Amino acid sequence: MHVTKEFKKKTFLKQFLLGLHVSNSISNPISIEQRKNSIKLSADLAMAFARGRTHWTHALITKLGQKEENKSTLKGILGRRYQILMARYSCPLLYQKVQRRKKGVRSYRFSYNAQKRRSALKGSCVRVSPSVVARNLENRRSKVLKRLVPGGELLKGSSLLSEVLDYVISLKAQVDMMKSLWRATQVSSSSNVELIPKCSIAKEGSFLHYSK
Amino acid sequence: MSSRRSRISEEEINELISKLQSLVPESRRRGSNRASATKLLKETCNYIKSLQQEVDDLSDRLSDLMAGMDNNSAQADIIRSLLSS
Repeated sequence: MHVTKEFKKKTFLKQFLLGLHVSNSISNPISIEQRKNSIKLSADLAMAFARGRTHWTHALITKLGQKEENKSTLKGILGRRYQILMARYSCPLLYQKVQRRKKGVRSYRFSYNAQKRRSALKGSCVRVSPSVVARNLENRRSKVLKRLVPGGELLKGSSLLSEVLDYVISLKAQVDMMKSLWRATQVSSSSNVELIPKCSIAKEGSFLHYSK
Repeated sequence: MSSRRSRISEEEINELISKLQSLVPESRRRGSNRASATKLLKETCNYIKSLQQEVDDLSDRLSDLMAGMDNNSAQADIIRSLLSS
């Protein structure tokens, strides 16, 4: 497996913390809806940062960064890297490539369906070989998959599969981390006791400001 | 040359498919030979959707829980979960 879970956990939590910290310092007080969005944004960004540089992580960060409401948080986290990242991935040529490919698929499908309709009108049964049907189904399914995985539209074949695999692993890790975080938060909200000794907190990161 | 390349990528694809099969639940029930590629793709799509939905749910629940907290307690919880996991 590409990702070792131990490494990912620490990076994820650090980044998640940073994301929450940045978005809370930008707009405070915030509604429940806003808080949920900032948590989700921080979690997605943390997952992408913890994984490192892959196609889908870049696509995800770019997609998140293009939304107006996320820009200030992203800028706060990335700092100078924000400009570089956004410039690199708002390249119009990439999207032109996707558009041209989409047109091709549409015209192929249209002629294929027209052929089916014509032979159905003739009264004869449609002679479509099973391999074509299977391939058609597979194409449809991989289209859905491409939409689900960030950046998937531009991939195909084995690279799409490996991206999907990577994405699934990271998603699972993200869900597990958030679950354990939720359990920890539940425990603390029911009992207001500081269980952690101060020395281990100081080790975790200098961006934590503890004021007692 | 091209046939060698396609053979290599076919091995790659088979390996990826088997890895995916071991990850995605539901597809482990049937024998590994029976699962076709389309079925696996469909299961993967469903699995990704359910994971994304779970993230959404968890964000909801976390925002509810953290509503009453200040920044420092939220940080403490995150560290606690780091130390316990």
